[in-house]
Amino acid sequence: MTDFKALLRILSDAGVEFIVVGGVAAAVHGSARATFDLDVVYRRTPENLERLVLALIPYHPYLRGAPPGLPFRWDATTIRRGLNFTLKTDVGDLDLLGEITGGGGYEALAPSTTLIRAFDIECRLLNLDRLIEVKRAVGRPKDFEVVAELEIVREQRRQRPTQS
Amino acid sequence: MSESQRSSIDDIIDVYKRDVDVSLIVENLRRSIDERLETLMRLQAFVEELRRAGPAAEG
Repeated sequence: MTDFKALLRILSDAGVEFIVVGGVAAAVHGSARATFDLDVVYRRTPENLERLVLALIPYHPYLRGAPPGLPFRWDATTIRRGLNFTLKTDVGDLDLLGEITGGGGYEALAPSTTLIRAFDIECRLLNLDRLIEVKRAVGRPKDFEVVAELEIVREQRRQRPTQS
Repeated sequence: MSESQRSSIDDIIDVYKRDVDVSLIVENLRRSIDERLETLMRLQAFVEELRRAGPAAEG
């Protein structure tokens, strides 16, 4: 099971700059769909890569679904030479995304985020309109299902402006 | 969105909307952010329990 609270706390305490996207962002906005991993877009500055590496080392990140024993090294060089990583950690599944389809990287997405407090942790969340746009851009049938639900979330929130 | 701006993707999304349980969304919107995430983790645990139980039941 993925402990979303623990993962958010680990990243936040280490000062990692990241934006929550994907299913967890959808859930925070009001979606009722299940999701099993935390997707975040991380800032690809050298300093942030170092913070990310140090934050996750104690939780033994490894490539999710890969056979055990591969020579995977969790370090800044690995992140710098890659972009998106689907990881398994001791506290659950974490997708670290340098960029997302239809949205780009951290700097491109940052203006479309809001700061939220979840479990007393302050973090950046991709706003609902942008989340719908990027899900549309991905273009898989399962993403259209998500878009359908998120558009209804948006309609419901407009009808109930006191509930965010 | 006007009719001329709509694409077939919008029509597909409208088809999917018929299957969305709006009552679950309304219930979720009444919750705080922490409660929404806790609900999500409980749902995750439940699904994982079902996944474990399936093969066990088949023997």
